[in-house]
Amino acid sequence: MTLKSVLDCERRSLEKMKKYQLPNRFKKIGFAILIISFISLFINKFFVNNLEFTLITKYGMLVGLLIASISKEKIEDELISNLRMQSYTFAFIAGVIITLTNPFFSYIVDFFIKAKESSSNEVGDWQILWLLLSIQVFYFEFLKRLHK
Amino acid sequence: MKNKLKIERAILDITQDELAKKIGVSRQTINSIEKNRYVPSTVLALKLSKIFQKPVNDFFELIEGE
Repeated sequence: MTLKSVLDCERRSLEKMKKYQLPNRFKKIGFAILIISFISLFINKFFVNNLEFTLITKYGMLVGLLIASISKEKIEDELISNLRMQSYTFAFIAGVIITLTNPFFSYIVDFFIKAKESSSNEVGDWQILWLLLSIQVFYFEFLKRLHK
Repeated sequence: MKNKLKIERAILDITQDELAKKIGVSRQTINSIEKNRYVPSTVLALKLSKIFQKPVNDFFELIEGE
């Protein structure tokens, strides 16, 4: 096996992993969807109060975060791929820990403020997905700043 | 792992940005390697070796215990 074929093989396997990513311009589109959905959610909550619209804006936020999460950087090299992998790992572990400890903290808060009705301890699918995606996106940006 | 990337770059008299463009990575990657915050892949090490026209062992060195 020549050195060139070894390099080609390694490059091909790396490129296969990158195929799921969107071009860099989608990053801005993703953040724009996130901000628009977030503002719409607030407007809806205080002025319109439509349940269906709330659901749409919540899912809009998830779609925006997902697009921002899977879009490439301007120069998508191996350092960026490495940081991306680190951020997904961190988001997964942090997401699981926060989800597991959430009922415990809710119980403590309920105990101290002596709430008559216990607040909901269950974490919904939207909250988990939002938590995972937002931790990944913001931790990735943090790691990028560390490597400037 | 120690490296002499900065010295090799000085010998060729090129900036981090110029070296980054030659091997197709970002300037941040070169900076991270120089500051020992990132260990490059074999592909990148071989590309650097080609630019510097030296074996990889000449500018990357394992420290004791690694």
